[in-house]
Amino acid sequence: MIPEALKRELLERTARAEHPREMAVDVMYALQGYYGYMSDEAMEEAAEIVGMTPLELEELATFYDFIYRRPVGRYVIRVCDSAVCWMEGYQSVVDHLTSRLGIGLGDTTADGLFSLIPVCCIGYCDRAPAMLINRKVYGELTPEKIDRILQKLATGKPAAGEE
Amino acid sequence: MPRLVIDDLQIEVPEGTKVIEAAERLGIMIPRFCYHKALGSAGACRMCAVKFIHGPFKGLQMSCMIDAQDGMVVSTTDEEAVAFRRQVIEWLMMNHPHDCPVCDEGGQCLLQDETVSGGHGLRRYPGRKRTYHDQYLGEFIAHEMNRCIHCYRCSRFYQDFAGYRDLGPMQIANRVYFGRFRDGPLESPFAGNLVDICPTGVYTDRSSRYKARRWDLQRVPFLCIHCSLGCSTVASARYREVVRIEARFNESVNGHFICDRGRFAYPYANLADRPRRARVDGEDASLAEAVRAASGRLDQISMNAGPDAVALVASDRCSLETLAVLKRISREKGWRHPAVFPRPDLEHKTRRAVSRLDRRLAVSMRELESADFILAVGIDPVHEAPMLALALRQAFREDAGIVVMDPRPVSAPFDFDHVAIAPAEIGGCLSRITEALSALQADSAAQGKETRRPEAAGPLRADLDSRIAGIVERLRGSRNPVIVCGTDIVRDSTPDRAADLARLLLQLKARPCLFFVLPGPNSFGAVLLAESPGRSFSDVVQDIEQGKVKALLVVESDPFKNFPDRERLERALDRLDLLAAMDYLPTSVVGRAHIVLPTCTVFECGGSFINQEGRVQRVEPVHEGGIPVHQVSGGGHPPRVFSHEVPGGEIEAAWRTALEVAGYTNARDNLSILKIMAEEHPGFARCRDIPTSRSFRVLPDAGDRPPVCEETGDRAAPEAADTLEVVLVDRFFGTEELSGYSPVIQNADSEPLVFLHVRDAEPLGIAHSDWISIALEGGGLEVRAGVSAQMAEGVLVIPRHRLLEWQKLGPVPAQIPFGRISRAGKE
Ligand code: SF4
Ligand code: SF4
Ligand code: FES
Ligand code: FES
Repeated sequence: MIPEALKRELLERTARAEHPREMAVDVMYALQGYYGYMSDEAMEEAAEIVGMTPLELEELATFYDFIYRRPVGRYVIRVCDSAVCWMEGYQSVVDHLTSRLGIGLGDTTADGLFSLIPVCCIGYCDRAPAMLINRKVYGELTPEKIDRILQKLATGKPAAGEE
Repeated sequence: MPRLVIDDLQIEVPEGTKVIEAAERLGIMIPRFCYHKALGSAGACRMCAVKFIHGPFKGLQMSCMIDAQDGMVVSTTDEEAVAFRRQVIEWLMMNHPHDCPVCDEGGQCLLQDETVSGGHGLRRYPGRKRTYHDQYLGEFIAHEMNRCIHCYRCSRFYQDFAGYRDLGPMQIANRVYFGRFRDGPLESPFAGNLVDICPTGVYTDRSSRYKARRWDLQRVPFLCIHCSLGCSTVASARYREVVRIEARFNESVNGHFICDRGRFAYPYANLADRPRRARVDGEDASLAEAVRAASGRLDQISMNAGPDAVALVASDRCSLETLAVLKRISREKGWRHPAVFPRPDLEHKTRRAVSRLDRRLAVSMRELESADFILAVGIDPVHEAPMLALALRQAFREDAGIVVMDPRPVSAPFDFDHVAIAPAEIGGCLSRITEALSALQADSAAQGKETRRPEAAGPLRADLDSRIAGIVERLRGSRNPVIVCGTDIVRDSTPDRAADLARLLLQLKARPCLFFVLPGPNSFGAVLLAESPGRSFSDVVQDIEQGKVKALLVVESDPFKNFPDRERLERALDRLDLLAAMDYLPTSVVGRAHIVLPTCTVFECGGSFINQEGRVQRVEPVHEGGIPVHQVSGGGHPPRVFSHEVPGGEIEAAWRTALEVAGYTNARDNLSILKIMAEEHPGFARCRDIPTSRSFRVLPDAGDRPPVCEETGDRAAPEAADTLEVVLVDRFFGTEELSGYSPVIQNADSEPLVFLHVRDAEPLGIAHSDWISIALEGGGLEVRAGVSAQMAEGVLVIPRHRLLEWQKLGPVPAQIPFGRISRAGKE
């Protein structure tokens, strides 16, 4: 259960909305922020807040990339797999990431630090290939640059934009 | 009206017709998956591509997405279109598990048909197939997601058309999945339609799983007899067993769909303990012997005690044929005319409803869908006439306003204003609406006079005033209003009040506007054939107690199901010199009868029924009857002994056996049942000319009768503040007689709740889903309580559920003092 205060706040925001369901994504974000991911129970809690059925919310949650229905690592790395990045070397970025982290796309490292997932164009095409880690964007990726970023995050130096 | 050319054929179609539909009218079936007449277009499957050669569109387009327009020239056989469709079907088959041999859809599968018609025969894709986990969706429907081709028909039906919210599309792209959030029974009482609507085998009927291929079945256009609406179905049988019911399109009644009660009730016809052998005094006998015995004893009693010592009892699940014959023989023999209704008030209300309906007033269920305002009184649609709820939903989707005036905690798949008032208040509200509306009418007719405000008449609650005023306004402002009126829980005069209002609306709007819901599948027919005023079963019991009736012939009726006082009924039946029962159900009466004459179900002998809007519908038998082969063989190979006799095949339609009991020796051969029906009611003469696939209405033309509003002494609202009024109600599952025998429905049914208002429950310390006990003279009733704020105060809503001994309540209507209701210790 989310804290009473958070629940109250979400209920109030939902009540102010013209249609409660327009708050669906915001509410899921808030719960995801609290739990780290959306468990089945969290889905049911969120559904109740916005007055939707869990199924209706699930239709949205499983369609929208930024809602996690499974636990993710502390850093969620999303590699852009859209056209421009793909032309600019997406494959070598993914190859490098998977071999460095020792995980496949969709997986999380055993230490719970990194998750790796593909994402649609993140609007960084001019600096392709690009990726997003939590809320920070990285462009013009090379193996060396990726190593530096991972190193920095892994050694615990606070990464900018951490949620 | 646009005129276009499709494959060199010209056709003119109404504005807004899709090209796929225009082609169908020409007999050209363009391949399709997602397009469905009831659900419209989605453009999801790309299977319906055709080539547009001339006109506003050019090239390859989806024929389900484009309205037919003047000057269009379309080719469905163009090479490019054919090649495109071949590719589409190849894609759609890419992940298909190729499990047709073990799929129940095989043989009636649109995906199979379109794969062949699309010309896809050789698999080229060698990769891995996408696979899914299936879900448990309840007792009715099996789920096999790997067969899905993502046409979205299921979710469009389930959510948009029917208005339920627990099944839909999840995931994205190649992973799109149709199902529920978690495993669990589908919540919609219309979920069975997924079986019909899915173009492949994702949803199949569990009750008929692995039983037959379509071509093995005896399939007949059929009729549902599980409520008064009379929806059209297709019934299928194999090896003397009914195995499946599907929906059949009917443009006046149910449209494309049916409810789950109608779909899964059929197993009553296959019961192993169905009466199959005639019995005389506990001994098996041939049908002829039993008929002879019944005939002899009835004549004996007629002779000794006078013919009116013999009474007939029937029910509204009897066909029109049976009811007509019972009327005929009771007249000729001097026996008492059949009592059809269990309670006098039901008989009365049905008769009033039927006598007030005429050709100009009656709306069909399909017409109801185009109403723009609906006032439904004394009806809980999902529970009493399920498909009515779906029709109301269609009106709601077109922005109709809906008001439901009913004491129950009504829930339905559409938004409505609920005026939760006690049954006694409904009639008064209707009268006040009628008065106010006609006063306003008179005012606007007499221009110049100042407008008079409708006077508040009658001792009604003040808070109702504004709601009534609102309804009056909405009725006035609507173009096509309809009054829907139930006949079960309302007071005796309510159907007349509803009809009065409808008559006024007819004057104002010049459109049909009255829709009654009746107690059962043939209630309409029963009152047409009844003497007036008819008798109900409680009169019969009284006559037995007074020694006036000594013999009872009970035909396809189970008084134990409905008579409110079981012990009294048992005592009465014990006094009889003869209790003869004719039925196809193993009822309690069959169990106690001196003479048992088994009869055929409607699947085995067909029959006619009149639905609540006066529509006579006749069906032919699905199979010839007899004990199901697997029961004869004990599940193994059918017997290897040959014989001309069909085991259990000697039993006949109730009307034939009844004629024989009455001494018509030639009943089997020469008597024309259609002739008897026409003689018993002139309205039925048309049965002779009408093929079974067509229906007709037996309604009088309008205007030839003044509205005879019989003054009936309605019971007043309970005065005492310390009692609750018992309202006995029907429920989607568990109260209708035939479906109550269906094992699959029994498994799917949920626990019956007795409902009361929060404000009534609180002082008693009762919370939702607590066990409560109701102390009664006939013993206690222990049941789980439902507590709701969305219902009338002062009522206790009790379903006549087969698992609840509501009969212990004693004579209903009843008031139950608060003091008798308490929380039970049970958990
Ligand atoms: S489950 Fe059936 S109806 Fe639903 S999308 Fe798949 S194929 Fe279409
Ligand atoms: S609504 Fe009534 S008639 Fe129609 S399918 Fe359901 S039970 Fe049968
Ligand atoms: S294509 Fe990768 S950021 Fe736009
Ligand atoms: S039927 Fe036209 S796209 Fe599916």
